[in-house]
Amino acid sequence: MTLLRVEGASCKFGSLVAVDQVSMTVQPGELRAVIGPNGAGKTTFFNLISGYITPTSGKIFLDDRDITRMPPHARIAHGMARTFQITEIFPELSIRENLRIPVELAAGHRLKPWLSSAEKSAVAATVDGFLAMGGLGAKADRLVGELSHGDQRATEIMMALALKPRLLLLDEPTAGMGDQETYDITRLIRSLHKDQKLSIVLIEHDMRVVFHLADRIMVLAEGRTLAEGTPQEIAGNAAVQAAYLGNAA
Amino acid sequence: MTERANKATALAVIWLILLTMPYWLPYVGGYTELGSRILVMAMAAMALNFLLGFTGVLSFGHAAYFGLGAYGAGMTIKYLAPSTGLGILVGVVVGTLAAAIIGALIARLRGVYFAMVTIAFGQTFYFITFRWNEVTGGDDGLTGWQRQPIDLGFTTVDILANDKAFYYFVLIFFALAAAGMALILRSPFGRTLLAIRENERRARFLGIPVERHIWMSFVVSCFFVSLAGALYALLNNFTDPRALRWDQSGNFVIMAVLGGMRSFWGPLIGAAIFVALQDYVSSHTENWMSIIGLVFVLVVLFFPRGILGIKRRRKAA
Amino acid sequence: MTQLIALSVFNGLIVGAFYALMALGLSLILNLSGVINFAHGGFLAIGAYIAYSLMPYVGFWGALILAPFLTAFIGLIVERFLIRRLYGRDPLYSLLLTFGLAYIIEDVTRMIWGAQSVPFQVPALLTTPLSSDFFFLTGYRMFMVVLVAIAVGALFLILKKTRLGMRIRAGTHDLETVSALGVNVRVLRNLNFGLGIYLAGLAGVLAAGQLGLQPTIGTSLIMPSFVAIIVGGLGSLTGTLLGGLLIGVASGIATIYVPSATEAIMYVIMGLVLLVRPRGLLGEEGRMH
Repeated sequence: MTLLRVEGASCKFGSLVAVDQVSMTVQPGELRAVIGPNGAGKTTFFNLISGYITPTSGKIFLDDRDITRMPPHARIAHGMARTFQITEIFPELSIRENLRIPVELAAGHRLKPWLSSAEKSAVAATVDGFLAMGGLGAKADRLVGELSHGDQRATEIMMALALKPRLLLLDEPTAGMGDQETYDITRLIRSLHKDQKLSIVLIEHDMRVVFHLADRIMVLAEGRTLAEGTPQEIAGNAAVQAAYLGNAA
Repeated sequence: MTERANKATALAVIWLILLTMPYWLPYVGGYTELGSRILVMAMAAMALNFLLGFTGVLSFGHAAYFGLGAYGAGMTIKYLAPSTGLGILVGVVVGTLAAAIIGALIARLRGVYFAMVTIAFGQTFYFITFRWNEVTGGDDGLTGWQRQPIDLGFTTVDILANDKAFYYFVLIFFALAAAGMALILRSPFGRTLLAIRENERRARFLGIPVERHIWMSFVVSCFFVSLAGALYALLNNFTDPRALRWDQSGNFVIMAVLGGMRSFWGPLIGAAIFVALQDYVSSHTENWMSIIGLVFVLVVLFFPRGILGIKRRRKAA
Repeated sequence: MTQLIALSVFNGLIVGAFYALMALGLSLILNLSGVINFAHGGFLAIGAYIAYSLMPYVGFWGALILAPFLTAFIGLIVERFLIRRLYGRDPLYSLLLTFGLAYIIEDVTRMIWGAQSVPFQVPALLTTPLSSDFFFLTGYRMFMVVLVAIAVGALFLILKKTRLGMRIRAGTHDLETVSALGVNVRVLRNLNFGLGIYLAGLAGVLAAGQLGLQPTIGTSLIMPSFVAIIVGGLGSLTGTLLGGLLIGVASGIATIYVPSATEAIMYVIMGLVLLVRPRGLLGEEGRMH
């Protein structure tokens, strides 16, 4: 059984074809990178998978279940979680509150008018775990809006993880980060993949990160699939070098 | 002092003031009925703020549900049975039901558009009460009924003749409403509302069905607003279409903003100031509309975060 | 019977033309600046009262030409000193501010011109019925419809052909790009606000001739204008025009058959539109967010 299967998905905005007949299959436990020059349709492709946009044509399956028209919140209930290229968090709440919300949602407390003290301490313990994992413990009670870009990014990734996803979608997780922060995040993603066997699809600009992490890479250009394969295959692909790696420098 | 202790002190002060209000209000130029009016308006403003300040959804039509609560209560006592309790019950049910239907129509809309549609829907009920003369009394209002004494079995509380007794009657409902809203806001469900206010896209991609939660928040908010409306009719032994006109909706919003819409108790302070000012100004000058209008303009230009908002900002600085 | 239906449709068209004229002004401001101008009814009243005060000196025709311009001038000042501060902030604040302004304007007009209705004389030429069969076709009503048609035609022409109009349309679509192209957005919004208020002033003069003049004249017309915009769809002026005419005709017909539903009918239409097509008849996708 495949985890995620996209079959010939297209997305048109008026006369502009942002994504054109793109297919992709992700196996459980795989880390897949999607790369391509600016305007290649990577984020639109992500938006199709996560349900932010409905494809003009084509189909999307999660665990062989057709989710093409499923609204985002229902996809999350089926084990998907995502981050955004521009960090999406709750700026006027503390990191702890930011994490508490997805932890409670994942625990199925969404509509509960109150929690038992056992449930409360379970939630608090889980939140503490994610604070530690993201290296955010010391700043837990500060408002996220006041923190550095790196901390905000880390908070967002922890929020996505708090949903206990089976498939994590990361849209440029290292965008706008310094070297140290990029290193920390790369290590975190690697550990999620290797140690926790989490399936991940990520869009990334930093080629060091991509070739270090990915099991397989898909290259998009002008909305179409240009190439797909292992990092070695992609590195040796002439078309990719011409269209992408050539002008990336 | 810790923040927790500060909060406990503030809470104690608020309740002390509310519990003793009928006894000191006359010394500062007020009267018991004014106190009851402040409580009722505060309940409505806090209920509106549940939606505005804690879900981030701007309704400019809450007077409709306030008015439905008022007419529901008044018409029940006038036509159905002379029972205060039944009147309140019917008022709340009617207001909440209307909100559930209209909320379902508009939960998909956002921002300015949501505000505009709530205003327009609010006017629907205004025109119904205005036009349906035979039943609602039309423009003259619904008269010929009174709130009834409360029979507790072992004793009867005369909330009609004794205005202090009625104040405490309202205060009990106010306390229940405040406790109810606070409980919801502190619950996991309440936190999903904050999430929607803070960042709707993030909330949606955490798995919150945003439209459904906005609808629920709208219904909860209108439940308490119609309760306030029912009590308002009982307070006056009267209600007229102005209770559900758009200017009443605007008044609720300004009360919440004036007090501070990011704070739970802000609307109480806003309502106290607004109601007292309105009472004073309308009995001292013919041009009360200009003065109330000026309050709107000045609050927007100089106190957009409200009174409690200023305090919070100072603390942050 | 035919006559009755014709009467109700025609009446509805007149009313709808009013709604549309007012709603178009509201819509212009809302589309470009994101402000719901609650004081629009107030500006309508100002237009009517200015015309009333000017009439002894310049006559009806002079007042008809001058009053809307003077109203627009007041609008420019109000935008410059009050509304402008609120752009880019939560729409809550512009709503509250214009709400307060509506209170103040109603009170001030009452202070200056009195709470009682004042007589608003229109030229005898315009009051005579044109036909004895269709008694309701008074000249004034025909005149109003024609004038509204001219005003709406001129508005669409301005938006289509003049530089200001094209900038307004472009700004409605994408303000950032227009600003990046070197257009002064502050001036653009100011003039656009003035244009919207001009329409309110014009509607005021016309309304006064038909309904008589008292300080609350604008209040009764603002809600239908909101409904017209919602039904027509946010972001579309053609939609607003259509919405205004539609609810006008619907309430005109209701007046004949179910008088008590005169107002209710337009809210029913609004509810149906929202149920079937939440963005309104001609509204752009995405505008409702």
